[in-house]
Amino acid sequence: MKNSIWCILKKELKEMFRDKKSLSMMLIIPCMIPLLVFGMSILFESTVNKPIEEYNKIGIAYETNEVEKQIIKEVGIDPVYDTLENLEEKYTKDEIDLYITKKDNTYTIHGVNNDTTTYASTLVESYISAYKDYLQNNYLQNHNIKPTEVTNIITLEENIVEEENYYANYITVYAFLFIIMAITVSATYPATDTTAGEKERGTLETLLTFPIRSRDIIIGKFLSVSISSIITGIISLLFAIVSLLLVKNMFSIYEGIDTMLSFTSILFATIVILAYSFFISGLCIAIASRSKTFKEAQSALTPLTFIAFFPGMIAFMSDMSASPFLSIVPFLNFTVIFTDINSGNINILNLVLMSISTIVYIGMILTYIIKQYKSEKILFSN
Amino acid sequence: MLKIRDLKKKFIRYNRKKEKEEFYADNGITLTAKEGEIVGILGPNGAGKTTLLRMIAGILEPTSGTIDFDGLTYEADEITIKKNIAFLSGNTKIYNSFSTYELLKMCCQLYDVKKEEIEGKIQQVAELLNLNDFLYNRIENLSTGQTQRVNLARCLIHDPKYYILDEATSGLDILSSQIILDFIKEEKAKGKVILYSTHYMEEAENICDSVIMINKGVIIKEGSPSKIKKETKTTNLRDAFFTLIGGVNHEK
Repeated sequence: MKNSIWCILKKELKEMFRDKKSLSMMLIIPCMIPLLVFGMSILFESTVNKPIEEYNKIGIAYETNEVEKQIIKEVGIDPVYDTLENLEEKYTKDEIDLYITKKDNTYTIHGVNNDTTTYASTLVESYISAYKDYLQNNYLQNHNIKPTEVTNIITLEENIVEEENYYANYITVYAFLFIIMAITVSATYPATDTTAGEKERGTLETLLTFPIRSRDIIIGKFLSVSISSIITGIISLLFAIVSLLLVKNMFSIYEGIDTMLSFTSILFATIVILAYSFFISGLCIAIASRSKTFKEAQSALTPLTFIAFFPGMIAFMSDMSASPFLSIVPFLNFTVIFTDINSGNINILNLVLMSISTIVYIGMILTYIIKQYKSEKILFSN
Repeated sequence: MLKIRDLKKKFIRYNRKKEKEEFYADNGITLTAKEGEIVGILGPNGAGKTTLLRMIAGILEPTSGTIDFDGLTYEADEITIKKNIAFLSGNTKIYNSFSTYELLKMCCQLYDVKKEEIEGKIQQVAELLNLNDFLYNRIENLSTGQTQRVNLARCLIHDPKYYILDEATSGLDILSSQIILDFIKEEKAKGKVILYSTHYMEEAENICDSVIMINKGVIIKEGSPSKIKKETKTTNLRDAFFTLIGGVNHEK
């Protein structure tokens, strides 16, 4: 590496690693990934596997016969028999999860729509359905008709193979999208500090008096910010892999899912991290170098954090897959390919297209920044 | 020898009606500085001294005119010129998270000082400017005077031929100012070319071989301090300056 670029890179890294804010941005943000993975796993696990005791207290405002009592017991309902007025009061006080009334042959379920009511309703539906079957069978037998001849005229069998676990897939995709976001956030601080920060501190003037070309200054700064982003990206990837491996053994929502990425997937994920780190670092420097102060640069860079995250969200929600065209669309290409790698779909052509287009974009961005630094506006923009 | 011919720098500013308006911070400055000479650049704030020195240091690009360092120009030989100049201003800031030693080492590397000579150079400069007590301390922990000495060391480390000093003693106490003034005299004795801008007229009178007085971007007088005093029939450069601009009230 050219001496002047190496000197600038060393200077920038030294400043970065001695600055507590830069270091914390680089190292603390990846720690959010295990929190995200564990947090979402706990949330989904509690939704999917809600203990029956949390929703089986059902108020019954009528008298039940022995058969009904038996069915109620079998489906797991913990019945609370009382008058309608008392049940309404108990429901208001959260003592029961919902209540049923009966008029002639019509049963009515009462409650407010929420998670618990939904689960409790399924219990009531099971009870009513079983009791209805019992009454229908009885009626048919009393009229000398074999119930199976009527009730089993047609049969429905389900042969649907569940390809993926929705919840587990949701969590792994978000964990990987968060890596992109972590890299973006991690790039903004050093990019601001090395451009607008240096200008504000007055050291940029000193730097420009040294016998170094603007091009070398920019490349040195660009490499230092990229190194910071890559460190964040790699730590984030490791945290994502380790936390997904840990939650697999802790939560039932991951049953049947292999959360361990293959070596090839990890390798390609690393390539995406490298490409995105270089791209976002260049972009952050380009935006921040136009600002006069650190604060101004931070305001200018804030929308970038959202811009980086949105394409991934849209791609995930619309079930978008990488294609040769999408592989060259900035921002969208990284997230779409990342999501594909995560689900085991590796397409070398898309990866190559993404890498080449990123090199072209970085070249354009660096040319723009170098032009900026040649102009005195960079120092005396006011 | 440093030769500057008809140097102009145009800036754009906005007037009260927010209309663009062009103005010249420097408008046709011509000067020559020979080896072993201290040329003082005098003038009030806003006269165009800093812009002139920034152009000479290669930080700003002139709108027109030429800057010639022994036949070299920025257009063709930017890096060679910058290796031979040192720019120091009262506002020059250095890297606070670095120690003096680290800063000087980085400067040596940037100025292509041979690896085996770096340690010797640092020790030599540290002894000369009495930096040894805080050589390994971070610059953020140093006093203003100590920081300016480190700044001076930064300028000296590559043994430049040209010194461009802009209000270098501004805001310093008497002792720190004297260290800088002594240093300038020593470098002059070694045959270096020194441009020294200040608004302390007495200071300029004491150390400059010749001075140019600038006001509103143009030279209003040039020559040796004694010649200027004689021609303006004054006893010091301060009075000479006021005489030339028609008094304080006129300037206001």
